[in-house]
Amino acid sequence: MKQFISFVIKEGKHILRDKRTMLILFGMPLVLMLIFGFAITTDVKNVRAIVVTSSMDHLTQQAVDRLAASEYFTIVQVVATPKDAERLIRGQKADMAIVFGADFASKRSGVQFIVDGADPNMAQQWTNYATSVMLNPDGGAVNTKMLYNPQMRSAYNFVPAIMGMLLMLVCAMMTSISIVREKEKGTMEVLLVSPVKPLMIIVAKAIPYLVLAFVILIIILLMARFVLGVPLVGSLFWIIVISVIYILLALSLGLLISNVAKTQLVALLLSAMVLLVPIVMLSGMLFPVESMPTVLQWISAIVPPRYYIEAMRKLMIMGVGIKEVAREVIILVGMVTLLMTLALVKFNKRLE
Amino acid sequence: MNAIEVNNVSKSYGKVKALDDVSFTVGQGEVFGLIGPDGAGKTSLYRILCTLLLPDSGTVAVDGFDSVRQMTDIRRRVGYMPGKFSLYEDLTVEENLAFFATLFGTTVEEGYDSIRAIYSQIERFKNRRAGALSGGMKQKLALSCALVHSPSVLFLDEPTTGVDPVSRKEFWDMLGALKDRGITIVASTPYLDEVCRCERVAFLDHGQVRGIGTPDEILTRFADIFNPPGIEHATGSEVHEENVIEVEHLVKAFGSFHAVDDISFTVKRGEIFGFLGANGAGKTTAMHMLTGLNQPTSGTGRVVGYDIRTEHEQIKKHIGYMSQKFSLYEDLTVAENIRLFGGIYGMNDADIARKTDEMLERLRFADHKNTLVASLPLGWKQKLAFSVSIFHEPGVVFLDEPTGGVDPATRRQFWELIYDAASRGITVFVTTHYMDEAEYCDRISIMVDGKIKAIGTPSELKQKFNQPDMDHVFTYLARQATRSSD
Amino acid sequence: MKTMKYLIQKEFTQIRRNAFLPKLIVVFPIMIMCVMPWVMNMEVKNIKVTIVDNDRSTLSQQLVHSIEASNYFIFKGQQPTYRAALQEVEQSRADVVMVIPQDYSRDLTLGKQPQVLIAANAVNGTKGAMGGAYLSQIVTAHVNPDIAAMQSRVSTLFLYNKNLNFKLFMIPALFAIVMMLMTGFLPALNIVGEKEAGTIEQINVTPVSKWSFILAKLIPYWVIALFVITVCLLLAWAVYGITSVGPLALIYLLVMLLALFWSSFGLMISNYSDTMQQAIFVMWFFVVMMLLLSGLFTPTRSMPSWAYATTYVNPMSYFIEAVRTVFIRGGGLSSIWHQILALLGIGSLMATWAVISYKKNS
Repeated sequence: MKQFISFVIKEGKHILRDKRTMLILFGMPLVLMLIFGFAITTDVKNVRAIVVTSSMDHLTQQAVDRLAASEYFTIVQVVATPKDAERLIRGQKADMAIVFGADFASKRSGVQFIVDGADPNMAQQWTNYATSVMLNPDGGAVNTKMLYNPQMRSAYNFVPAIMGMLLMLVCAMMTSISIVREKEKGTMEVLLVSPVKPLMIIVAKAIPYLVLAFVILIIILLMARFVLGVPLVGSLFWIIVISVIYILLALSLGLLISNVAKTQLVALLLSAMVLLVPIVMLSGMLFPVESMPTVLQWISAIVPPRYYIEAMRKLMIMGVGIKEVAREVIILVGMVTLLMTLALVKFNKRLE
Repeated sequence: MNAIEVNNVSKSYGKVKALDDVSFTVGQGEVFGLIGPDGAGKTSLYRILCTLLLPDSGTVAVDGFDSVRQMTDIRRRVGYMPGKFSLYEDLTVEENLAFFATLFGTTVEEGYDSIRAIYSQIERFKNRRAGALSGGMKQKLALSCALVHSPSVLFLDEPTTGVDPVSRKEFWDMLGALKDRGITIVASTPYLDEVCRCERVAFLDHGQVRGIGTPDEILTRFADIFNPPGIEHATGSEVHEENVIEVEHLVKAFGSFHAVDDISFTVKRGEIFGFLGANGAGKTTAMHMLTGLNQPTSGTGRVVGYDIRTEHEQIKKHIGYMSQKFSLYEDLTVAENIRLFGGIYGMNDADIARKTDEMLERLRFADHKNTLVASLPLGWKQKLAFSVSIFHEPGVVFLDEPTGGVDPATRRQFWELIYDAASRGITVFVTTHYMDEAEYCDRISIMVDGKIKAIGTPSELKQKFNQPDMDHVFTYLARQATRSSD
Repeated sequence: MKTMKYLIQKEFTQIRRNAFLPKLIVVFPIMIMCVMPWVMNMEVKNIKVTIVDNDRSTLSQQLVHSIEASNYFIFKGQQPTYRAALQEVEQSRADVVMVIPQDYSRDLTLGKQPQVLIAANAVNGTKGAMGGAYLSQIVTAHVNPDIAAMQSRVSTLFLYNKNLNFKLFMIPALFAIVMMLMTGFLPALNIVGEKEAGTIEQINVTPVSKWSFILAKLIPYWVIALFVITVCLLLAWAVYGITSVGPLALIYLLVMLLALFWSSFGLMISNYSDTMQQAIFVMWFFVVMMLLLSGLFTPTRSMPSWAYATTYVNPMSYFIEAVRTVFIRGGGLSSIWHQILALLGIGSLMATWAVISYKKNS
């Protein structure tokens, strides 16, 4: 037991003394939370619009005023022909143009939106907003309610994703690197030959990272709640339980990687290729899984963070009960059991 | 009962046979040496003995336990210091020691007596991080860590590589004390004086045991490898009067610590100058200033006529350099390495091609022109690295412990190359921990605590300090050291 | 300068001998061009709608049918109560719920405005907003024939990307990622690798100048990066039929300017790092920030002003804006000159820093 404790302390010192890595480990969640929470949004605002009209009659002026008054649009210029408007959009001086027909007032001709379609999502949203501002200023018959996220803050969507990514990186990447480092430096040989049981070496190595992951989890949750104002509506108990399952899963993956990798660089690259890229790309963190082609959807089905992120979104943001995330939890538990067994069976008590 | 029984052990990695039908026994409390060139299979053998590798065939018993079935029992009884053993660089000296002590179920206090001789040298740095120690210091700490507990069998894979002669003696004295307590020791070493302190040695070559016996028997039987005839070298004949290196009052300080503390000396053209000193005496720092890697804090120096402070880029054109850490780019072939360094020194393609063939011919190495450096044995790498460092006919070549870890025969071949270079007028500035090599030099200086304590020809120094050989001269001077770090 | 030839040759040989790099150079463009555009698709589609019809009149059923018929939505049937519909949302079986009030048809015939409730799952904000907006257009048109008439007079022309193809939007931006990896990460790791192996010390005692050594390290990666970009451009044409609208020369110019920045940045990081691990971590940290704030995924103009201010110093943001202007919108030099100047400025600044921080003699 004394050996075990001194082992854990030693690992802890390794982590604490590497100031630069520590800074990044704790700086990363902070910065990510701030960026996702405040900086990154797909809100429609500051849209630079051009008005194209040959005669600014009363009705046209009214429509233009309505646009200008809305919080979404700024009228940057009034030009005479659509050609001029197109040139301005191409030169990135404007995002869209509203072309009023010559006899707009007499209601015979209509309005055309000329929109920069480079970004499809934004192009559609701008059109939607412009339509509703011009035609239907008071909302009329529809009462729209945004469930769970009334201000439509992107933080709601991203907080669970950041948790999924960071916990995986800290546990899997850091654990695998720290094990491989000992292999590379030759200290692993001494540890293995010592009277300490190999399993204990691994558990002792994992514990500080487990603690670290937990601290990061708490930081993220606290920041989400008090800085970003994301309401943690779901059961905190289950959030933590599922996170622990996920952390264990990440540790097993790290252990598996450390078995394959011979050098720290390989461990690092493997973690990046096998973990980071699929997490960012295929877990539904940034890009919705349902928009992907079927083949990629199948691949994403074996990416563990997908289920974790999904479960966290439901639990934290939507506040559903544990029943509703049973599927995700069962899949995660299945994966943990499989990976943990594999990692322990595969763990080399000898070299080679 | 024998402490170790190895019966017909073989081990292959793919097509390479690392160990081929190896058998020997080691008695209880015996100090047993494993010697042989780099790549002979020593490390594989250690790993099999420590249960880290499984033999392909054959059996191994340590302390009566089978290495395959009773792994845990063996691991509880043995201590092992691997060849590339390194410490936790981000832990302090004391933390490293305490960790390894706890790991083996003991404490620093309990084990202190068995490591006192070496640990006391570095104890004053116990709060310094291991990563900040010099190479030799690290090795001493590693030795302390390996010896802090008392296993019943101790395996040491080239434990003293890069350690100065004085500390090596102290280390073997410590092993002697362990032996008295009944501990069986298996150690490998490239140093002959250490081989002689074993009771029996096994000579391993290409995975096979070529012979087992007392050190004397083995060294006589394989005299061509271990005890090659000394090299004839007419001293002074080619040495010219002009100075190639002139150093006056050179100081390099890191904060308040003077790594190099006011040294002055000159080296003449064509001379072979041995630059000796204990670990941490300041040799490497001095060498870095001469080669333009570091700026001196104060003092002046000229190398091949250029000022080391202002004209270091000029100096670099006229010197060659070979360090212990680096020989050549491992992922390039022999010819590609030569071509690269030839090109760097401004030679053209035709000259490079011609000289490459000449050089490889002279080394009898033409067959390996297109071999990757990584797959060459260590001795060959060193010879090649030296040849490359003088490929552009520099005025001076700096060699920083060029022959670490190879057997005497290979070292002798290396020195033939050095003599050859010197006879062509290239000045050789060399550091080494082999005192037999010190005897080969025209002139030597011995650094202690950042200062040059003695300078002169080997015979002058032996006379002056009234010692029988360089080894004793060195030991005599180095024992006066008061600090032991750089 | 003659030594450059030998140094560059050495780098190429080492890259070729590396177990990993040649594979990366082959697989990477294929990955980037054949997989990423499919993955990086933030297109909102398959919005699942469930309806609670409290009116159950002919008029309300008409509305239901018009939604069922819309190919924008996936109709997930009707639920008896709002509560039950919400349950569907919680179980991810529906994204948007529409509730038709009890008096829908009576209000309509009386000329009063009925209040239709649309509740969208807004955890994913874009999806919720867009689903809600489209649904409300359909409802508004149904409720108010006047507006329906006006709606029919509004037409939309999407410039440059008529089919609103997300791949077209993403492909030029992916070049930024290629350059980041090829000219930023790889040379940085290479230099730290020589540091760790100790070979840099050997080079430092030779007369090789700072500039030659650094340039010899960078040039091979620049060549490779240009090759990879070319392969990417060809793949975009072969696989998706997407080609640049603007002049290719401008694309290459932008790519080179970005390479200048990334190479210098990588070099600067490697000068301050002792191990590859440190270098990778620090690089990664900055890369994530620069990428997220670059406008690659979300429009920079939607950011709050403090975050928008960072785009003035973020070369990735200049690059992505400019490369999209050229590639998608067909803009010429006149459209992107100030991005070019900015990239040049930031790049040179970083290059100066990198060279100053590299010490041959300390």
